[in-house]
Amino acid sequence: MMEKYYGEFGGQYVSESLMNTLKELETAFEEAIHDPKFWEEYNYYMKEYVGRENPLYFAERLTEKYGPKIYLKREDLNHTGAHKINNVIGQLLLAKRMGKTKVIAETGAGQHGVATATGAALFNMECRVFMGTEDIERQALNVFRMEMLGATVVPVTSGSCTLKDATNEAIRTWAKDAEDTFYVIGSAVGPHPYPKMVKEFQRIISTEAKRQILEKEGRLPDAVVACCGGGSNSIGMFADFIEEKDVRLIGVEAAGLGIETGKHASAMAIGMPGVLHGMKSYLLQDEDGNVQIAHSISAGLDYPGVGPEHAYLRATGRAEYVSITDKEAMDALMELCRLEGIIPAIESAHALAHVFKMAKTMTKDQIIVMCLSGRGDKDVHTVAAYLKGEDCNK
Amino acid sequence: MSNRIEERLKQLQEKKEKAFITYMTAGLPDMEGTKEIIRAQEEAGTDIIELGIPFSDPIADGPVIQQASYESIQKGTNLKKVFAMVEELRKDCQVPLVFMMYYNTVLYYGLEAFAKKCADCGVDGLIIPDLPFEEQGELQAALDKTEGAPLLLQLVSPVSKDRIPMLLENARGFVYCVSSMGVTGQAADFHKNVASYLQQVKSVSKIPVMMGFGIRQAADVEKFGDYIDGAIVGSHFIKLMKECNYDKTVIQEYIRTFKKEMNA
Repeated sequence: MMEKYYGEFGGQYVSESLMNTLKELETAFEEAIHDPKFWEEYNYYMKEYVGRENPLYFAERLTEKYGPKIYLKREDLNHTGAHKINNVIGQLLLAKRMGKTKVIAETGAGQHGVATATGAALFNMECRVFMGTEDIERQALNVFRMEMLGATVVPVTSGSCTLKDATNEAIRTWAKDAEDTFYVIGSAVGPHPYPKMVKEFQRIISTEAKRQILEKEGRLPDAVVACCGGGSNSIGMFADFIEEKDVRLIGVEAAGLGIETGKHASAMAIGMPGVLHGMKSYLLQDEDGNVQIAHSISAGLDYPGVGPEHAYLRATGRAEYVSITDKEAMDALMELCRLEGIIPAIESAHALAHVFKMAKTMTKDQIIVMCLSGRGDKDVHTVAAYLKGEDCNK
Repeated sequence: MSNRIEERLKQLQEKKEKAFITYMTAGLPDMEGTKEIIRAQEEAGTDIIELGIPFSDPIADGPVIQQASYESIQKGTNLKKVFAMVEELRKDCQVPLVFMMYYNTVLYYGLEAFAKKCADCGVDGLIIPDLPFEEQGELQAALDKTEGAPLLLQLVSPVSKDRIPMLLENARGFVYCVSSMGVTGQAADFHKNVASYLQQVKSVSKIPVMMGFGIRQAADVEKFGDYIDGAIVGSHFIKLMKECNYDKTVIQEYIRTFKKEMNA
């Protein structure tokens, strides 16, 4: 049996009817990760379908302007445009192994939904994606993509109508249909073994990045930076560096309109433990212990909790967590467009904004590796609205 | 120390009657109204009342209870106010009360403070659907330390199978058998193996077995009569109360009819 906790965080806070399902999943996952054939298949799809390995790009003009050497791990170049596909392929191969023919997923920005719909088409599975109506409006293009790929998008109208509520609805449906349905969780959250699964299937980001930076620079970076909503790209970006104690690990949360305004998505900034979506972790809550609605211009970071391993990495001091406002992220996004010709996702722009900030305290020979988790095509209308001065923070 | 749930169930057993249990969301139509409905229910013969403490993310509940929970939060209901209401109620009302709530509400209040407050106010049982057996250790320890603390009731599902002996070994009060997979209030669309599963639970359980989820009338549980000691009505009861605008006569009539038919 695997460890279900990360210190005081993690666990399996789900209804009794899901406990045997989780056990079955844990057993299948453990067998799979010890089976070289499973990894052979996973790696095959990573290379031939996702298009890995993707580059660790030396951002010359950013480096010139900001000081330390800045490298971008180009997850935006993956098929479907973000890191989400890595995990989806892993989980769907596992679902296939378990004989499940139907999958469900939750989505915020729509990236995980698109990735799941894509994988479901590839492996001939029936796919339903739960999405809050607020996000459906913000990410109309991704809704259409999912439908083109043959998935059914189920609108969720409860609570804040965003990722948190889509996840609630996916869990409710899963509790009902678990006998033939596999739940593909997109972030490093949820009950054990999900946070571990997501980490193992996103680990490829840091495995490649570590090898690439050693090839290019002959040494490890001084810092590794990634944005952090639930924390899937960041846990993947950190994974192979966690044991390298000299490498600083920095997760960047969304500060929305500013932590002091209360309109943000930084569970770590507040640091109050709670239980949601099957896990104990840091969680935004009001004075009655109800979950507080997160706020961010980025749909993918708009989540009131964070993965339990991140909570543990923060509590133990191994990783640092900071936050970046909507404005700082949008400025960084435009900067990357203009200086490097790359349109990043708003999520990834949060990490970039922090790279610019921390660069001021670093020297020219130091190295930062940042995970550019996704491309920004999905965000262009939000950027347009933002530049026109419209209110984009829901 | 005796517990109101165990006392009531013992009385019923002696009379060879089945228990009738309802669920209502605290704070609807308002806190005063909740209190009045509890009294009216006691008068009409409800054996145990589950009081839902509203939570922002009720992942084990279907649309009816989700909506009730949402409305109650909008009206300002919180755990502190419910405790105050129960404290007031206990001056002249001894119907067994169970809090149905989500774990974050307990955790936020503080485990030991929560256990003590429940004991002080006269809360008899707890149902926490997102706290499965394996995660109950910390809360159970806090409850064990507190004299007169409520019983942490065990839920069993149609797919619990090999887990049933573990769940029932030290269970007290009653066993809450969920009739279908998923969430509350999906009509009487019971799991395909519900009869054999209830039979299995009944054969191992040393305490009364109650069936809940999707029950509307006594006829829904009639064919399971040999395996259950009572029925729990939640979503349907909430809907009924709302539709009659919390009319006590209608509510009492429903309770009396259900009880009579179930024990016919």
